[in-house]
Amino acid sequence: MADAPHRIDVHHHFAPPAYCAALEKTRPVFYIMKDWTTERSLDDMDKAGIKTSMLSITTPGTWFGDAQQARTLARIANDYAADLVRDHPGRFGLFTTLSLPDIEGSLKEIEYGFDTLKADGVGVYTSYDDKHLGDKMFAPVFEELNRRKAVVYCHPVICQCCTALTPEVNEAVIEYGTDTTRTIASLLFSGAASKYPDIKFIWSHGGGTMPFLIERFINLAKLPHVAPKLPKGLMHELKRFYYDTAQASNPSAMGCLRTIVEATQIVFGTDFPYRRGLENVEGLAGCNFTAPERRLIDCDNALGFLSRLKA
Amino acid sequence: MASAFRIDIHHHFVPDAYKAALLSMGAACPPPGFQPPLAQWTPRRTLDAMDEAGIAAALLSITTPGIHFGDDAKARLLARQCNEAGATLVADHGKRFGLFAALPLPDIEASLDEIDHAFDQLKADGIGLYTNYGARWLGHQDFAPILEALDRRQATVFVHPTSAPCMCGLQPEFNEAVIEYGTDTTRTIASLLFSGAAVRFPNIRYIFCHAGGTMPYLIERFYTEAKRPKSAAHLPKGPLHELQRFHYDIAQTANPGPIGCLRAIMPASQILFGTDYPYGIGCQGHVDALAKCGFPADELAAVERGNALRLLPRFA
Repeated sequence: MADAPHRIDVHHHFAPPAYCAALEKTRPVFYIMKDWTTERSLDDMDKAGIKTSMLSITTPGTWFGDAQQARTLARIANDYAADLVRDHPGRFGLFTTLSLPDIEGSLKEIEYGFDTLKADGVGVYTSYDDKHLGDKMFAPVFEELNRRKAVVYCHPVICQCCTALTPEVNEAVIEYGTDTTRTIASLLFSGAASKYPDIKFIWSHGGGTMPFLIERFINLAKLPHVAPKLPKGLMHELKRFYYDTAQASNPSAMGCLRTIVEATQIVFGTDFPYRRGLENVEGLAGCNFTAPERRLIDCDNALGFLSRLKA
Repeated sequence: MASAFRIDIHHHFVPDAYKAALLSMGAACPPPGFQPPLAQWTPRRTLDAMDEAGIAAALLSITTPGIHFGDDAKARLLARQCNEAGATLVADHGKRFGLFAALPLPDIEASLDEIDHAFDQLKADGIGLYTNYGARWLGHQDFAPILEALDRRQATVFVHPTSAPCMCGLQPEFNEAVIEYGTDTTRTIASLLFSGAAVRFPNIRYIFCHAGGTMPYLIERFYTEAKRPKSAAHLPKGPLHELQRFHYDIAQTANPGPIGCLRAIMPASQILFGTDYPYGIGCQGHVDALAKCGFPADELAAVERGNALRLLPRFA
């Protein structure tokens, strides 16, 4: 083992066999998902000094146009994850999968997740049918999450309009990061970010590409019709969000992110099983963080908002 | 003006023919439309902004939405008109201006003619391209004849972003420049790398806008992608080798976050001063912002002038 397990991985995917089987009835399922097992998760965590991984379902998620199917898939994932949390004390946490953009089912699943399964937060995607999270259709869900002061972990999807644009490149290279940027912008400039101050958002992959495009954000926020959406200012909102290190544990990205937020807002994330935990640990070691900053990123920041894990 | 020394690689001009073309489309003008900074552009204003900011020379290019609006013949005429107007400005103002000639792409034949005309008749300093034409990015096989011609001439090629057609209206609440422009620069860099075009045409001297779009922030994804067997075959020396041949301007990215990010993968020799005039924070605004980006004095001098002179020695 690399070092004493202390890390909290906020970006760790699981793929319950029943979820894969249900998905596979209508679409091909990526082999990395089908090959996932609990043992593989635990093995990778042990190699990387990870004490606890927060489980979430990665793309394609649950939504294929049918609310009932989405609710069923979400429930399969959530019950499976709750069993893992129970059966492996201290090793896993649960970000509830929702059936969005199905609002009614999602509200029920939020309640089930928090009140019955004792979930640690919810997982959402950056867009649903190309609607980003600041869209007013999502307001009832964010009202409820704000009321519960929830941790909301957000994973990118590839916008429908951006599929197969450049066939010579895997879409993950550019389009995931970009959709995270779009949904951050959507929340900020629609006023939703200011309206729901008690939600603790975690953005994947170092915030997508937002930190690199910061000057565009700053200039947009100055426009007379935009400024009122951000009464406390753009940077106030950006500095209260959390950003994970998955696919971004390199000096370019971390250095850039660090010019916008303090180390208190950066949280360890691996993107397992798409990347190995140890890759992220080694990447972060080369990112010029001080030892106290590393400790914040590895675990203390996450422990600050994942109260159950502190026990 | 003894103090003027900077070379602005990213500076837009708006010739009368271009104003008339955008104006004539009215509301049908593609995004970002005929915006006030374009409508108000004059040579005098550009020179005043340059003088204020100590800019000795500006390389003139046509900004988004470009010149092709669906009609090949009209695009061909408009490209020629813009390039002639640019060449006249260059001729009338000594070494204050250079020209990145516009092409009527995606019309390949006409563009090959315009490359010849621009270099051989107008003595253009380079060619201006956009990141995509009708959802085809620059590594697309359709553009191979263009890249081949530019490679043969060892041309300086200034690649300006536009948004992909499918992005129109995705987030209507704000300008596409905020996210989609930077992203499209990243797409076309990826297209050139992973199609093999970057390696196949090694003599093109590319300049990418806005510090490379979002590529430096996504560099880890590029490395991962380059390990796939198909991609690796297109990049025998790896992605960073190609990326470090390209040049990147600092327009709308002159602050420590993105510049530090770019700098982590790029020697200062590849970074060029550019302002995006008449957009963004202005010429002097870029000078002031760049001074706070942590470059040592020798590197700052190279970014502001020396690096551009390697590409464009006639401005020495």
